[in-house]
Amino acid sequence: MKRLIRLEINGRKHEDAVADNLLLVDYLREAKKLTGTKKGCDGGECGACTVLIDGVARPSCITLAATCDGHKIETIEGQAKNGRLSALQRSFHENLGTQCGFCTPGMIMAAEALLRQNPEPNEDAIRSALGGNLCRCTGYVKIIKSVRAAAGAKT
Amino acid sequence: MSEPMPPFELSRPQTVGQAVKALNALPEGRLIAGGTDLIANMRRGLVESKNLIDISAIAELHEMEFGKDGLRIGAGVTLREICNDMRIRADYPAIAQASDGVAGPGHRAAATIGGNLCQDTRCIYYNQSHWWRKSNGFCLKFKGDICHVAPTGRRCRAAFSGDLAPALIVHGTNIQIAGPGGTRRVAIAELYNEDGSDYLRLAPDEIIIAVHLPAFNPMAPVVSAYEKVRMRGAIDYPLAGVAVSCRRSNTGEAELQIAVTGTNSAPFLLKNVSPFNAGDGLDNYLADLSKLIQKQVSPQRTTTAAAHYRRLTAAAVAQRLARKLLLESSSG
Amino acid sequence: MSKRTKGEPGTRHAIAGKPVPLVDGIEKVTGKALYTADLETEDALIGRILRSPVSHGLISRLDVSKALALEGVRAVVTGADCDHTYGVIPIAMNEYPLARDKVRYRGEAVAAVAAIDAATAELALELIELEIEELQAYYTAEEARAPDAVLLHDDKPGNLEREVHHEFGDLQAGFSNAAFVLSERFDCAEVNHAQMEPHAALAYYDDERSRLTVHSVTQVPFYVHLMLARCLNMDASRIRVVTPFVGGGFGSRTETLNFELIVALLARAANGKVMMRLTREETLITHRGRPHTTVKLKIGMTNEGRIAAVECETVQRGGAYAGYGLVTILYAGALLHGIYDIAAIKYDGYRVYANLPPCGAMRGHGTVDVRHAFECMIDRMARELGLDPFQVRRMNMVAAPSRTLNDLMVNSCGLGECIDAVEKASGWKERKAKLPPGRGLGMACSHYVSGAAKPVHWTGEPHAVVSMKLDFDGGITVFTGASDIGQGSTTMVALAAAEILNVDIARIRLITNDSAVTPKDNGSYSSRVTFMVGNAAIEASKNLRKILVAAAAKKLDANPEDIICEAETFSVRGSEQSMMSFADVAIAALADDGTINVKGTFTCPPEAQGGKHRGGAVGSTMGFSYAAQVVEVSIDPDTCLVTVEKVWAALDCGFAINPLAVEGQIEGSVWMGMGQAISEETVYANGLPVHGSLLEYRMPTIVESPDIDVTIVESIDPLGPFGAKEAGEGALSGFPPALVNAIADAIGIDMNTLPVRPDRLMEALVARRRKDKITARNSEEVS
Repeated sequence: MKRLIRLEINGRKHEDAVADNLLLVDYLREAKKLTGTKKGCDGGECGACTVLIDGVARPSCITLAATCDGHKIETIEGQAKNGRLSALQRSFHENLGTQCGFCTPGMIMAAEALLRQNPEPNEDAIRSALGGNLCRCTGYVKIIKSVRAAAGAKT
Repeated sequence: MSEPMPPFELSRPQTVGQAVKALNALPEGRLIAGGTDLIANMRRGLVESKNLIDISAIAELHEMEFGKDGLRIGAGVTLREICNDMRIRADYPAIAQASDGVAGPGHRAAATIGGNLCQDTRCIYYNQSHWWRKSNGFCLKFKGDICHVAPTGRRCRAAFSGDLAPALIVHGTNIQIAGPGGTRRVAIAELYNEDGSDYLRLAPDEIIIAVHLPAFNPMAPVVSAYEKVRMRGAIDYPLAGVAVSCRRSNTGEAELQIAVTGTNSAPFLLKNVSPFNAGDGLDNYLADLSKLIQKQVSPQRTTTAAAHYRRLTAAAVAQRLARKLLLESSSG
Repeated sequence: MSKRTKGEPGTRHAIAGKPVPLVDGIEKVTGKALYTADLETEDALIGRILRSPVSHGLISRLDVSKALALEGVRAVVTGADCDHTYGVIPIAMNEYPLARDKVRYRGEAVAAVAAIDAATAELALELIELEIEELQAYYTAEEARAPDAVLLHDDKPGNLEREVHHEFGDLQAGFSNAAFVLSERFDCAEVNHAQMEPHAALAYYDDERSRLTVHSVTQVPFYVHLMLARCLNMDASRIRVVTPFVGGGFGSRTETLNFELIVALLARAANGKVMMRLTREETLITHRGRPHTTVKLKIGMTNEGRIAAVECETVQRGGAYAGYGLVTILYAGALLHGIYDIAAIKYDGYRVYANLPPCGAMRGHGTVDVRHAFECMIDRMARELGLDPFQVRRMNMVAAPSRTLNDLMVNSCGLGECIDAVEKASGWKERKAKLPPGRGLGMACSHYVSGAAKPVHWTGEPHAVVSMKLDFDGGITVFTGASDIGQGSTTMVALAAAEILNVDIARIRLITNDSAVTPKDNGSYSSRVTFMVGNAAIEASKNLRKILVAAAAKKLDANPEDIICEAETFSVRGSEQSMMSFADVAIAALADDGTINVKGTFTCPPEAQGGKHRGGAVGSTMGFSYAAQVVEVSIDPDTCLVTVEKVWAALDCGFAINPLAVEGQIEGSVWMGMGQAISEETVYANGLPVHGSLLEYRMPTIVESPDIDVTIVESIDPLGPFGAKEAGEGALSGFPPALVNAIADAIGIDMNTLPVRPDRLMEALVARRRKDKITARNSEEVS
């Protein structure tokens, strides 16, 4: 069965008929062509698909698109404003918080949610906020550094 | 890419009454709240229901209320809200700690307390893909007639792995359940069966709508703590999870409640725990406690970690928490 | 991060040697980077694979007619559609893209469908009728090697893919010189790369012109190209292989993988475009990880700590097919050499078939488990002899330049500086004895090759080719076929070009990995890219510079030798008035012949290509990286959970062309070693992968991952690009032994099994308590 959903993605309003069983990640990637949101596992294990729903980081691969009706979704594609990188994007780029880049969109979105809630997180808070996001390249050292640097840049 | 989501129809009731009615009309229907457990399982072909009833839009399930009778937490309150709540952290620390230990922050933002209590039992022979389970001849819990963990047994040994249940148990929580005939309240331990494929004592058309915690009494404070044993600092389910609460009486006697998850098909309150008297000697008391736990837990080969390890660590963590709480409550 | 240069500082560089972000980093942080699974699939069919439900058996019936008849199914392929084997070693290709006659592991591809959507494809798989007559299956090397075991491959008696027997030096004399001889056995679990990006491939077959285009996640598009031509029986010139952004490799995508061939077979059968995105479980089943390895090691040491002789037997459970197996088993022996100067080394290696997914190359290919055993034992022997573990390593390390016993070339070695750096940084001397109970420090050393000096597909061609184009716009386009898999190789090429040409890195554009456009490259494996592609990029840049300098000299009426180029400006030495901008020089250079195309190549000299003995090419390299590390652990006495508190690592990469990327590589490889050491392993239930998810395959999360302090040591290799060697693998194999040595320091238990899972550690602790009790009781009885 399909239903009509109205939601906001990266500040733009969208209205789409979606199947009840459509996952948010597939809606974003396939219907909206927002392929920055990645699929790294078979459901809820890696965090690569993390997006913000009403400002809160959530795995989009275990979220139904239908239940996002009326909500605000933010993805990695919406982070750069007027062609300029967000503080976190810049920091991940400059500090090598990204290597292969596959976990990066989810990692940045989870970090973005953290910084909005806690603009000056200590290392434990960063580790805790990114606990559901796996990275296989960096050993996380430069990810932590990137988040700290972005927090510093913001304040 | 994964196995495609099976097709289903989603309904989104606005009230508990509508949800109960929907369940009553669709006996095969399944409730979905945060979806963190259910959708992951659906993607592995473990849920065959053609009807999902999404209760996330029911406003009353999201309410949390501190009254003189205690704390009422709506079943739809998320784990993130619970671990961020300063009063829960102060008055019911085990519950906040248990919430904080679940999966990752993204899951906790979606997952609800009701969902965590109903979380499906887990086993390495069950939480696998369709191809995997089919190649293995399925299992007692789903489509098969043998338990690969205990092939000679007649019941499923999948382990209950929710973190919140033991924390709620040691705080003497009641569960409020709505059904076609109205609501009922039961002690939380009554919610569970020691059977991995039939672990919940809920009728098909019943919904957990809230948990009720007794009021915090500053005159006779209950201190509590929860700790889970796992290999990684996040994501993992508990290999064993232990909650302990401690109430000291005027005479100096301390009454301990200990509950365990992750080792059996149901979370359970440890039986025959005797109160602690300072004169008994803490080490002796804890040694007895360890024996008690090792006797009552029943970990099976449902995880890749050795079952014996889960038995030993359940006991060791319980000792550690009990020691901490006993020392804390005596000094405080 | 700190940096140390060994001996004289090398040439000063304007660009190389300064940390820069990745040239493709913006795409990654904005979500614009397209990985294979992100490619447009509007008009593509979805491919899915039917996998064997049994571990070992003969296919007695395979009927796809019902699947083919299902509405929406466009093609079904089976083993009957391809009778060519594929593989990575020309003499050891024994795998079919889709099983023919026989299946040898659970999860082996048997058939595949292409359908209009995933649900239809899934349904079609259920309609395929497959019957298999089961054979005895083997899940351990020991079972598979039993005298009466059924053979997985008829031509491989004893289920042995390869045995290696190498002996160098006088073993008997060595052991008789030793004051202390220790023998131990180590068991290291099988591990997987678990790169974050699940496997995917997109194939398009143009039936009108009989052309095939494949986009894939591969580290080596060249191998995929070769195997597509072989398995589809096509002229290679009709095939195009493109690699988009790659979400990590670590060796998993070095060999051509079955899905890359299956997707092409499906596309041809369907006359169209097929997208295949594997699940995480399928990605783990595709495997090619580090094999389960048993190492029996015997080391003789003098009282002073000199290693006198080494005898090593290694058994690898390689899985069901040959894959990289013979190279892995050879590497395990060859890399006993090259780090310490040892007078006698004997090696016996056995690569065994078993009914499990095939193993392959994984970061630190071949050396990790043997190095683990070796460094654990060196530490235990030093402890027994009352020697300092740092001193023992210093005393034994190789000198450079030299040749090893097995005839490997060693041109540079900064191991001593690495050892000094981590000893100092960790505060070892001051802190070691003062650590609280349950806390410990351990150290270990390691090394790795900078690419194989003799590649497996040896044709006599150069080892690397980089080409460049300069056009009217003054833009320099560099073409390389090397896959950037996150390690930053594309940035390295850009830096090399910018350095030699003295231009802003922004003037350089890189085009990578499209067989229709970029020169053939041997691929991103065994850390070959910096050394070989880096040198080729330097040569190409020098060739272009020569043209530019000549043009400038002509215009400025000067001798080419007098032309200076700095910061995009050409001038004549001694005459500051005469100068030209880069753009003007480019126009001048184009005047005669138009667009300029140059190339540079790199070839490993014969003396680098290893010994003459059988298998002597494996281990041969242009240069070894060297690493040392100190690991600090604390152990929870209640749960036996090991927490890695901190790591200090130092690596000699010759020269850090991009220190930021080098640091990232060292951190990443140390951390990957940590995963293998504490939590990662594959677990099979009668051949079914229990670990088939990122819940059960436990790579560490950010929560328990430690801070890693990095020192870069620069030994300036005489042949490396700007003196550089590899940086991405050498530090990995030092972590597990440093951890196990730290555990011994913390609680006095020597663990011989990896990973040191808490349940294993607890078992060891319980066993020790039991033993202590018995000892105490016995001594009571005696007294």
